Amino acid sequence: MTKKLTIALAGNPNSGKTTIFNTLTGARQKVGNWPGVTVEKKEGKLKHKDYDLRIVDLPGTYSLTPFSIEEITARDFILNENPDIVISIIDASNLERSLFLAIQILELGHPALFVLNMADVAQAKGIKIDEKKLSQLLGLPVVFTIGNKNKGIDNLVEAAIEEVNRFSKGKKSRDIRYGQEIEGCISKIETGILQSEIDIDGALRWNAIKILEDDKIVKTRFQNLSSQVSKEVFQTAGECRKRIYDLFEDDFEIVLTDDRYGVIAGIAKETISNLATKRIDMSRNIDLVLTDRFLGIPVFIFFIWAMFQLSFSLGAYPMEWIDMAVSALSGSLDKIMPPSMLKDLLLDGVIAGIGSVIIFLPNILILFFCIALFEDTGYMARAAFLMDRVMHTSGLHGKSFIPMLMGFGCTVPAIMATRTLESEKDRILTILMTPFMSCSARLPVYIVLAGSFFAEKAGTVIFGLYFTGIVIAILSGRLLRAVFFKGVEAPFIMELPPYRMPMLKSLLIHMWDRGKMFLKKMGGVILIGSIIIWALSSFPRTISYSVDYDEKINAVKYDYSQRITLAADHETEQLNRQLTLLLKDINNRKEQERVSKSYIGKIGKALEAVFEPIGIGWRASVALVTGFVAKEVVVSTMGVLYGVGNDESEALEKALKNSGMTALSALSMMVFVLLYVPCFATVVTIYRETSAKWAGFNLIYTTMVAWGMSFLVYRTGMMLGFG
Amino acid sequence: MINTHEQEKKQFKRLFQQQGIDRFALRFQVLEAFLKLEHHVTIKDILAQLRQEGLKIDEGFVLNSMELLCRFGFASKIEFHDKETKYEHRHLGLHHDHMVCLQCGSILEFKDEAIEKQQHKVADAYGFHMLQHKMEIYGICSKCMEHRNTIVSLHKAKQGEKLIVKDFDAGKNMQLRISSMGLKIGDLVEIVSAGFGGQVVIAVGENRLVLGKGMAEKIRVQPFDQVRIQNHDDYQEPKDILQASMLLSQMKTGQEGIIRKVSGESVLRRRLLEMGINRGSVIYVEKYAPLKDPIELVIKGYHLSLRVEEAANIFVEKVRFKKM
Repeated sequence: MTKKLTIALAGNPNSGKTTIFNTLTGARQKVGNWPGVTVEKKEGKLKHKDYDLRIVDLPGTYSLTPFSIEEITARDFILNENPDIVISIIDASNLERSLFLAIQILELGHPALFVLNMADVAQAKGIKIDEKKLSQLLGLPVVFTIGNKNKGIDNLVEAAIEEVNRFSKGKKSRDIRYGQEIEGCISKIETGILQSEIDIDGALRWNAIKILEDDKIVKTRFQNLSSQVSKEVFQTAGECRKRIYDLFEDDFEIVLTDDRYGVIAGIAKETISNLATKRIDMSRNIDLVLTDRFLGIPVFIFFIWAMFQLSFSLGAYPMEWIDMAVSALSGSLDKIMPPSMLKDLLLDGVIAGIGSVIIFLPNILILFFCIALFEDTGYMARAAFLMDRVMHTSGLHGKSFIPMLMGFGCTVPAIMATRTLESEKDRILTILMTPFMSCSARLPVYIVLAGSFFAEKAGTVIFGLYFTGIVIAILSGRLLRAVFFKGVEAPFIMELPPYRMPMLKSLLIHMWDRGKMFLKKMGGVILIGSIIIWALSSFPRTISYSVDYDEKINAVKYDYSQRITLAADHETEQLNRQLTLLLKDINNRKEQERVSKSYIGKIGKALEAVFEPIGIGWRASVALVTGFVAKEVVVSTMGVLYGVGNDESEALEKALKNSGMTALSALSMMVFVLLYVPCFATVVTIYRETSAKWAGFNLIYTTMVAWGMSFLVYRTGMMLGFG
Repeated sequence: MINTHEQEKKQFKRLFQQQGIDRFALRFQVLEAFLKLEHHVTIKDILAQLRQEGLKIDEGFVLNSMELLCRFGFASKIEFHDKETKYEHRHLGLHHDHMVCLQCGSILEFKDEAIEKQQHKVADAYGFHMLQHKMEIYGICSKCMEHRNTIVSLHKAKQGEKLIVKDFDAGKNMQLRISSMGLKIGDLVEIVSAGFGGQVVIAVGENRLVLGKGMAEKIRVQPFDQVRIQNHDDYQEPKDILQASMLLSQMKTGQEGIIRKVSGESVLRRRLLEMGINRGSVIYVEKYAPLKDPIELVIKGYHLSLRVEEAANIFVEKVRFKKM
């Protein structure tokens, strides 16, 4: 009979937790979010002898305070879901700091196991840990592993199962004892809780400590159990806190933290012996170049350049293949299917919509491979170290730099990359600022408009637009920080982990996770979105055209067929060419009228009043509305509406100029395109990564900013006599 | 004084005649000239005095006589730090010490009973039998101090002086060169030696820096005691140049210290503590980021980075340079 066990993995970031998780579960893992928060949850399965093991990777944290979502998520999982055992992954070369979290986890009162990971690194550093002594002192099994070399992993599983069995036979975890004063307080609260007969799942001591630490979450939970008892207990806790404050002139939690480090120092003293005195620190040597005063930033810029180069040049080939496959698919469907509404839906709606998104997949995979490489080697922390000063001016964290930069490529992966940020506030702020980075899909719009109206100055205009985007992003950052994220900024306390050789397996898993997430989540919503946009632009099906185009086409066809039969042989070819051009022109005009009379055209016309003050006519308005699907669509829609077909940019330039559009209104339109919400996929991504509230806010905010700025540009231009 | 001088002369006659020293009359003239002069005199001063009295005695003889006067205890020779040898009257039973101004060369005589007693005590404590002592304090006299600008160029500073760097009176390039040597405004420097062709050797923490004349001229400094007097309220007086306590944000690359206190808002303090920045831990400043913020630190054997503003919440003591 198989038995089921749940194993939770806990540990500091960079402790090699993910590597152990990947080694344990291989590809059999599920990535998702923890309920209600955007912290990534990873789960995997492993079969070991008669056991079915479910392995949950808790978020990497340094402590279990109630100040960050990751920490709350980790401790709630242990308290509420009662895993059979919690495995603390400890960086053996960094025992003291790692024990700080491990001991807090031990205090939760669950069966626990300590894993001294990266034993080889510790050994190279000359650190020798007496694991028997450690095990003796803390009353739990201690196992050595080298995660990236798959050493000791079997031992780890074996020891975990043994420990679970020991607990089922009545073993209790050992308490960590602190100073006399603190212990006095703890036992007072414990007595208070015990008298009340409230059931708190055996985590009595932990709850007592948290109440003394004035932990709001634990206190609220406790209050909900019994308001009467909690009142008395809280009062005792208040007295205790005051007493500690009078004695040590500091808050209870600070005194306890100090004490905890005292306990750890004692443990470290008894178990660690430093062997070698001389050691070579590779990381420090690498940092001599990578974070050098002069070389650091140029090297960083080079890496970023290389990342983009790789993703856009190498990514161009698979993008072409995907494009070819998509058009081949729609081409063959076109042949097979009889004309019907379903065919239109499939071809113009579903395939075109999905095709326009799936084309980014190679880019996304390569970008995330690079990001995983930065993270796994430890370079990401250095990048944040280098750029923090710059990002800090707009109230952001150094790590925001990479997502913001990726925004110049495509906003969707950029927003997904904000997951590297630990603080929720920083993450949301970065997500809201990233859409102002001018993404590559907007470039075709600039090229057409600036090319048509600014000729040789087009380059300067486009550069100015990119620059404006950056300035608006910085200003928005400051504004949003002041309005929504008031209060103290999250402190910038970041570990600079030693450089490590990345494991290809980890990189590929990471890359594939992101790719899968992109495909799955985008797929569903993009599909629906594409269908809606298609419906808007192709309904109503029956339009009363001002001219009977079909009759006109027939008339022309008839006319030419007669002329061709009459004409001499050498003239036939020329006449045929004339016919094709004429037919195309008529078809274009038909499409132009059709779109303008479709729902989306009606929306565009209805919005004319809104766009008129910023100098944008109804045709451009419709283009802007369709641009919500994707920015590239702006150009093709304009092509349709200006009656030149959708793939002739030179003809479009002429048509634009003839339509009476001025340089100023073109500039106004470009500013609008720069600033308004990039695309449907972006809004969906924001929704996925934050909440409907922020996605909605972003939609409204960016559009308002875009309109405001365009208004400013257009009206100022008018006043100065341009236009 | 006159009486003592007469007595000295009598004794001189007796002693010199007893010892049968040659050219007695002439030597007596030297003594008389010496006694007429007050304070500290050089051989040249004595020669001038003799010449004034119409006597032509050669320098070698005067030197020889003065040596004899010293031997018999009528004069004492003082060889002040890098100055010409001087002689002063020696009156038995009367002792005094000297303060020498390095700026104008004037010599002050002083006597302090407390110091005299203390010297005996110190000698006793070491089981040392003291026969005599000589004490000279070098410095700048009150007159010179009045004329002295409180902020001077480094090349004018004297050996042994402790100074605070106030300003760089230099162009961009020179400033870059100075700061690349690790010298910043606010640093406490000690003059190790000065004067070899304007070259100055200074100590900044454990570092020795050799500055050329041109560079030393451009660095404006203020004597450390003056700074101490001016803001003794908020200046944390270092017990020793290498034992300073300061904020973590004031520490320089390559310095190490022991954390004394972590202040600041409760959440931040707790975060810092959790990362191992607790009282008593050794913290080392690995480097500053290229844009001077944040700082990379080494604590408990791992690398950590903090913004300068956060580092300003951490008080560190026993700061010293350390090679890693």
